[in-house]
Amino acid sequence: MKDLDTNLQALLTGIRNAIGVPALLLFSAMTGFGSLAQEQGLSLYISILSTVLIWGMPGQVVHVELYGLGAPLIAVVLGVAGANARFMPMTLSMMPVFADSPHNRKWNYLISHFISINTWAEMLNRGHEIRADRRVSYFLGFSTTCMFSGVIGVYQGYVLFESMPEMVSLCLIFLVPIYFGLIMSNTVHPPYLLAFVLGCLLGAPMHLLTPEWGLVLSGLIAGTMAFLLRNWLNGFLKSKESNG
Amino acid sequence: MAESSAWIVFISAIIATYIWRFAGVMISHRIEANHPAFEWFTCLAYGIIASLVARTLIIPSGLMAEVPLWQRLIPMLFAFVGFYMFGKRLLVGIVFGEAAFIFLLLVGGVNL
Repeated sequence: MKDLDTNLQALLTGIRNAIGVPALLLFSAMTGFGSLAQEQGLSLYISILSTVLIWGMPGQVVHVELYGLGAPLIAVVLGVAGANARFMPMTLSMMPVFADSPHNRKWNYLISHFISINTWAEMLNRGHEIRADRRVSYFLGFSTTCMFSGVIGVYQGYVLFESMPEMVSLCLIFLVPIYFGLIMSNTVHPPYLLAFVLGCLLGAPMHLLTPEWGLVLSGLIAGTMAFLLRNWLNGFLKSKESNG
Repeated sequence: MAESSAWIVFISAIIATYIWRFAGVMISHRIEANHPAFEWFTCLAYGIIASLVARTLIIPSGLMAEVPLWQRLIPMLFAFVGFYMFGKRLLVGIVFGEAAFIFLLLVGGVNL
């Protein structure tokens, strides 16, 4: 990535790189959320704020669905916490990207709010190409653009989803697993790839086992197995390379 | 009353999400940037997101649940083939996947 001399340049580059597939993705995913929220009787106001303030689609969906069912508060809290628990490991693994940035560490508590799968993958894959002292600006440009298109998505889903042809709605919904499947599988680091594959295999059965904590449980098993096997995995791939 | 309880539920959902981000930042400030734990956390994140992708694909809710499983899995396969055969370009993968999805919807005769 070309030199980003000022924070403004970094911010604008972040915005520019988000416009395109990442913004489109957020738009379509949140279209689905908007229509769901409308169906479940959540107000448009809360639906839009949900994207800005929760900013984690699985948790947002759980919130809306349980609210629609009139579930007790504690069930909503546990359900949302389970669905969005990935933000802890994601935040943890992303913080080293900003380690050499001169900003006050306290700002990390605000920065962490803008983390989503999209923006996390972007910083993990391309963060090192950006000058350390420009990464925060780049990240904020990229993630606020994604969030903004998400808000437009919620609005359009809430207001227009009913009148949209079902074929279009389905294509928008289908974009989400394709996009995340592709960007997450595209890693050069063998343990991450193994974690991804194991997670794919465990995801559905674990969800059937325990809908609330299935994600966390299968992620914990897949991630920990991949981490424990990482030395063996790296050695295995090296020996394969030298033999072939 | 119903209005105010909607806000209480909503604010609880916000806190239930932010608490994880907060914990992540707090812990990261207490360990070295090159600590091996960070690799474990990244593995966990990959595992959880992969489970999420698999769940949305295999056990979808709403409209997508009316599309048969194989009509979701085969287009996903096409997306991967398109992505990895043609220089790992996201847009190519998406076009391959969506094209296969639309094709199967049209031929598969889903009653929409």
